[in-house]
Amino acid sequence: MSTEAPATLAAWLRTRSDEQLRALLAARPDVARPAPSDVVALASRLAVPVSVDRALDELDAATLQVLDVVLLAPTDGLPPDALVAALPEVPDEVVEAAVEALTTRALLWGDDVLHAPDPVRRAVRHPAGLGRRAVDLRLQLPADLPAAVGELDPEERAVLERLAGDRPVGHLPEAPNGGATPARRLLQRGLLARIDALNVELPRELGLLLRGDRPYGPPRRRPEPAVVARDPQVVDRQAAGAALEQVGRVGELLALLEEEPAGLLRSGGVGVRDQKRLAKALKVAEPDAAWLLELAHAAGLLDVGGPHRDEWLPTRAYDVWREQDLADRWAVLAAGWLGAVRLPSLVGVRDMAGKAANPLSPDLVRHTAPAIRRSALAVLTEQPPGSGLGADELTALLRWRTPRRADRLAPVPDVLAEAARLGVVVGGVLSTGGRGLLAAGEDGAADGVRGLLPEPVDHVLAQPDLSLIAPGPLVAELADTLSVVADVESSGGATVFRVSDSSVRRALDAGWSAADLHDFFAKASRTPVPQALDYLVDDVARQHGRLRVGAIESYVRSDDHGLLSQVLSDRRTAAAELRRLAPGVLVSGLGADEVLTVLREAGYAPAGEHPGGAVLTRPPARPRAAGRRGTEPAAAPRPLTAADLETTVREIRAGDAALAARRGEAVRQVPGVTTASTLELLSRAVREGVPVWLGYVDAQGSGSQRVVQPVSLAGGFLQGYDERRGESRTFAVHRITSVALVEDDGD
Amino acid sequence: MPDGPLIVQSDKTLLLEVDHPLARDCRAAIAPFAELERSPEHVHTYRVTPLALWNARAAGHDAEQVVDALVRYSRYPVPHALLVDVADTMDRFGRLTLQNNPVHGLVLTSSDRAVLEEVIRSKKVAPMLGARLDADSVVVHPSERGRLKQALLKVGWPAEDLAGYVDGQAHPIFLEQDGWHLRDYQQEAVDGFWAGGSGVVVLPCGAGKTLVGAAAMAEAKATTLILVTNTVSGRQWKRELLARTTLTEDEIGEYSGERKEIRPVTIATYQVITTRRKGEYRHLDLFDAQDWGLIVYDEVHLLPAPIFRLTADLQSRRRLGLTATLVREDGREDDVFSLIGPKRYDAPWKDIESQGYIAPAECVEVRVALDDEERMTYAVAEPEERYRIAATAKSKLPVIRRVLDRHPDEQKLVIGAYLDQLEELGQALDAPVIQGSTTNREREKLFDAFRAGEVKTLVVSKVANFSIDLPEAAVAVQVSGTFGSRQEEAQRLGRVLRPKADGRQAHFYTVVSRDTLDSEYAAHRQRFLAEQGYAYTIVDAGDLAGPGEVNGPDWVDEPAD
Repeated sequence: MSTEAPATLAAWLRTRSDEQLRALLAARPDVARPAPSDVVALASRLAVPVSVDRALDELDAATLQVLDVVLLAPTDGLPPDALVAALPEVPDEVVEAAVEALTTRALLWGDDVLHAPDPVRRAVRHPAGLGRRAVDLRLQLPADLPAAVGELDPEERAVLERLAGDRPVGHLPEAPNGGATPARRLLQRGLLARIDALNVELPRELGLLLRGDRPYGPPRRRPEPAVVARDPQVVDRQAAGAALEQVGRVGELLALLEEEPAGLLRSGGVGVRDQKRLAKALKVAEPDAAWLLELAHAAGLLDVGGPHRDEWLPTRAYDVWREQDLADRWAVLAAGWLGAVRLPSLVGVRDMAGKAANPLSPDLVRHTAPAIRRSALAVLTEQPPGSGLGADELTALLRWRTPRRADRLAPVPDVLAEAARLGVVVGGVLSTGGRGLLAAGEDGAADGVRGLLPEPVDHVLAQPDLSLIAPGPLVAELADTLSVVADVESSGGATVFRVSDSSVRRALDAGWSAADLHDFFAKASRTPVPQALDYLVDDVARQHGRLRVGAIESYVRSDDHGLLSQVLSDRRTAAAELRRLAPGVLVSGLGADEVLTVLREAGYAPAGEHPGGAVLTRPPARPRAAGRRGTEPAAAPRPLTAADLETTVREIRAGDAALAARRGEAVRQVPGVTTASTLELLSRAVREGVPVWLGYVDAQGSGSQRVVQPVSLAGGFLQGYDERRGESRTFAVHRITSVALVEDDGD
Repeated sequence: MPDGPLIVQSDKTLLLEVDHPLARDCRAAIAPFAELERSPEHVHTYRVTPLALWNARAAGHDAEQVVDALVRYSRYPVPHALLVDVADTMDRFGRLTLQNNPVHGLVLTSSDRAVLEEVIRSKKVAPMLGARLDADSVVVHPSERGRLKQALLKVGWPAEDLAGYVDGQAHPIFLEQDGWHLRDYQQEAVDGFWAGGSGVVVLPCGAGKTLVGAAAMAEAKATTLILVTNTVSGRQWKRELLARTTLTEDEIGEYSGERKEIRPVTIATYQVITTRRKGEYRHLDLFDAQDWGLIVYDEVHLLPAPIFRLTADLQSRRRLGLTATLVREDGREDDVFSLIGPKRYDAPWKDIESQGYIAPAECVEVRVALDDEERMTYAVAEPEERYRIAATAKSKLPVIRRVLDRHPDEQKLVIGAYLDQLEELGQALDAPVIQGSTTNREREKLFDAFRAGEVKTLVVSKVANFSIDLPEAAVAVQVSGTFGSRQEEAQRLGRVLRPKADGRQAHFYTVVSRDTLDSEYAAHRQRFLAEQGYAYTIVDAGDLAGPGEVNGPDWVDEPAD
């Protein structure tokens, strides 16, 4: 390494060890993809404003404060000692850790003197919450600033004090009839600068003056939140209670929607009327119904479907889900929620126009939602099992941790409330299931609650008051049947069903016979079937079916009864499968089109008729929405593995070495056009065993420079060994952009 | 406990499996804060309501105990949210208290200023409050005590009433327990009531509610006003008090349409109190006629609306409500609770039956097929006429006769709602009829004859629904009723539940016309009793076996000579 301090970021990067470079790439993965070809490319990637912003966003308040000190230093560059001295109230190790974090991310560079790269300066608008210098604001400050401040009245001083806090920019209040508000008086005195029609900014000098001996503001130490401690077993039991509840409710919701789908609003989402109906049927408050809709949707169990794609229906995934055991069902819900890009808590929140957002409406999509959920819950995973944080503490900690993202934290309390509802969190403490969910997704979640949830039961208790009590979650098959023959009266750990006239009628309508029902009750009930129940079934069955209703596909009608008889007895119309329903009406199970065709072919002259009020029959299959393909949320970028990092660093180093290699005059060529001189140079290198410097564009179009020890040149391909990358490979000659012989390999 | 007897439902109902070994303990643990809703054979249903939770708080239970009971006995994990909700609800109680201030009289004070501000701003509450004393207290007019409590309950901030009760004018009353003792449950009911100050005791018909009243009077040892449904039941009260307490004839007054006596213990009918002349209640001063120390409301489920209003003014006096069925078809149960007081004692009918204090009863629904003519009449009748036509069908008569023939030696009641039907039955069965227009004297005479066994069968109208003590009646045949009234059904069953000397079973028959509104209403009426654990047997009239036949009554009385 050179003894001189490196003069540029790129030069400094070159002095970093492989390990440090790997750390840099790991901390700022966006610059590692695609792999930069060399250190210069890496440095310019690091300067991209988006990348800088992203890196700064990840930093906690203490680290940002240290960065502020460097940014505010009068000179470019500050030795680490000066940094420690500038923040006397902050422990040294905190400052050191911050410097380490900043240099690792190349947000500061230099070893003896710390420099801030320009893009970082630009990205931090108000370092330490201070405004720009008066010069930059084109403001002429009074010569004796302390004196000028000293003679201000308290109101004006209060305005300055406020602006000397976290934000130097303030909104200029509307002046009532041009009166002189304190802020306006300050403007006139030249103590504030106007930056646009509405806003004023406090110049840095004044801010520093007001802050006195704390120029960087109070030390931003990590908050020490009060930890909530709970018995992990109790937490898990309560979480299981919540899990049971949610699984049950979602199941009921979807069963209701299967029965009667909710309409899709033109603006997307579910209408208030459907929401009310579902809330009433589920006996929950309307916001709870909205939450269940959102949850079912997030888990991929509910989506838009139906023949006209205008209904919210259970998806095919629901059929799979309901057959799963409770733990898996819960895991599907929890994982769906965690990855969902919608914020259910926004249902009912009014937008600018005063319109409340509907459940499942597209207005609820927030792409940051999964990140918010994960970051909030990640704080809890750091706590040992059985301890956690309250919502306020957690938000405060997050605000310290990512102060630049504080605006994103608004949904955190709602997110935590949702987590509690699901049983991911209980009273601020992560449950085992919640921990599993965060660590290992769906499977982890299921493993976390397995054993805590009851086994499904396959029987009910029939009682003389015509109620059937299922003393636990039911196996899917029995639940299906019971939903036909009885009405749910109360649900939760158990389910109370009530058999009534109408429920028995419904069962008879669904094709059950009285004998089937007697049989079913006798088999399903662990207690003797009460006589009243048997009588109820018989009573209703006796009355059932006196009126007959059927569905047909088409009819043929005529006032001419003779003609109809002729049609009916005509052998040629047998294919139309007609039968007489009543005088003057023939019906057919075939569609109107087919019947028309048959009649026409048989020589009649039928005319089609508009169906008018004809009843549409339900399709025999249960309606299902197609659902999203795969329930995986939008894939987050794959994290960089250690191997990835190593490869990338090696590539950079190789590119860098190639850059640095002293070389003979390069022969350049336009890619795709192989010049004779290129070939000549290459064959010479092969012949003499001299390494060549190659400019190369790979099949993906990314360029690189490398030093290759050529082995052979044949058929338009150069075989060679790249020492730096430690690989032997083949280069297509037409992709080579420039070639030079490496003259002295004395690196 | 993975295998507890209790299942906690999302809607805050609790299902208790009765056959579970821990069921008794669990019942004791949840009884303070959950109301028994249904008690059929296998699984009892309790409901946790805000009112019940607040009553539990008032009785000195805290949220921790409630949560502990739920978690301890629950078979499945209890959702945390539900427990939090329970704790929150209980926490609302006692933020406001009603207290007696030596200077300002009745005062509403708060430990939570925000709550006080909220209720003061509430439109419903504000008119009942007087001057603001300081940041935490406000004057309440004493006459608004009841209404204020009611209103505060509705806005969800129930007040703890620490203002206490006036003792009333002392009057010595003692129970004379010679040859009889207060039963355990009666004693528990009295203790529960006395500890709570005011409230409602729910006991099945025939379980001795009058004695609970008498014991409460002996506890209060003060002048007592007893409100009853009608004169006959008032006289029964009097008889019972004379027999069971040290009270003498002279100390008990009757305040009814016939007599207007005011004595240390006065028994008044609801009817006379609510009689208006020229738009004014004439007998309201009865409430002020004595410095009553206790007011007893018999059959509190029938409490007429004007009495609700009067009761609101009586909040400083101890109040005891007695009923068998707090099912009001007008849904005003909550008013009963907030004005008289919360439910202080409740026992499943079947529990009392198993202790032998009420007779076991067999409930039978006998189905009669209408003949063709009746069916046609029924089919073409106006909807409002249909029930009457079905209920009073002539085809019922032979069946009723057959039912009565099954029990030749029992005392039998035939109960109906339609007078012409009752007249007809009276003639056909050769039995006396008691209905609204029967004079009190005539009624007493007939009841006495019935008690003495001189009259075997009585045909009675709605007047017999309540408070008529006919211990000898062992068979009741219900032929028509007030539509689907559940409490009427329970009261009618109550007529035959007095324990029989030899422990015989009681029989309760309902004769209904098949496939008509009559049977629909019957199903609805039966619901309350079915929920109390009574299983109805349904029999077709044709299958009704006589005594001694297969499926007939098990025993036969001593052969008639």
